[in-house]
Amino acid sequence: MRRSVKALMLALVAVPMLAIAAVADADHSALEIRFQNHRFAPQTLNVPAGQALVIKVVNASNETIEFESFKLNREVAMTPGETITVRLPALDPGSYDFYDDFHQDVPEGSIVAK
Amino acid sequence: MRPKGFLAAGLLIVGAALSAAQLITAPVSNPPVTGDISAPPQIESTLRRSCYDCHSNETQWPWYSKVAPLSWMAAHDVALGRKEVNFSEWRSYYPATRRRKLQWIGRAVHEEAMPQWWYRLMHRDAKLTPADRLALERWVESQLSGPENRPSNN
Repeated sequence: MRRSVKALMLALVAVPMLAIAAVADADHSALEIRFQNHRFAPQTLNVPAGQALVIKVVNASNETIEFESFKLNREVAMTPGETITVRLPALDPGSYDFYDDFHQDVPEGSIVAK
Repeated sequence: MRPKGFLAAGLLIVGAALSAAQLITAPVSNPPVTGDISAPPQIESTLRRSCYDCHSNETQWPWYSKVAPLSWMAAHDVALGRKEVNFSEWRSYYPATRRRKLQWIGRAVHEEAMPQWWYRLMHRDAKLTPADRLALERWVESQLSGPENRPSNN
């Protein structure tokens, strides 16, 4: 009996924690922008409108870049190999361009909120 | 060791470290001006007074830019500033790049984010007056609505 109570209590604690961890992990892994070969991929990132977002930006190149977006009011210099987390508030539907401010020949990308 | 002995040893170590730091020089140079921005005299004067030290190739390097470790910080700030926007290379920017930089300039001026407070501490004359800000904001707006910097002109 005692064992089953212990197991039940453990489950009551562990299951919500695992669920929270899974949701948090899903948030972090689902949205990613990668800078490689002098361009961002994906170039268009579709995201849901009306909900806060967490986007991981990875600089997988050998260049220092600046991930920048005027519309999103973000500018972050990134050294080679650096990963940053960009937290955004709920976006209105629309397109929000982003670019590498240190290299003007890098094609700009956009985050499209639908 | 007595307290005075500790103090003397500490000062000696700091002095030695500062002396050694002078051997590591910072890149405090001014590359050639390749495409200076063209602006009305009042705007150009304001830009030169408040922005050019970090955002151009015509930096007036202050005395502390020759003394480590302040020289490292000054060199770092200027290198970053030139990467963000360099008025000495303005004409080499793509129209889309110019537009973005104008937008950021307008925002930085409006939000009083520039010049940065620590720079203003050492350069009192760099402070932008409300009239300077208004003039700069109006100039940015006029530039953004001009044919050269419209969004379609990429």
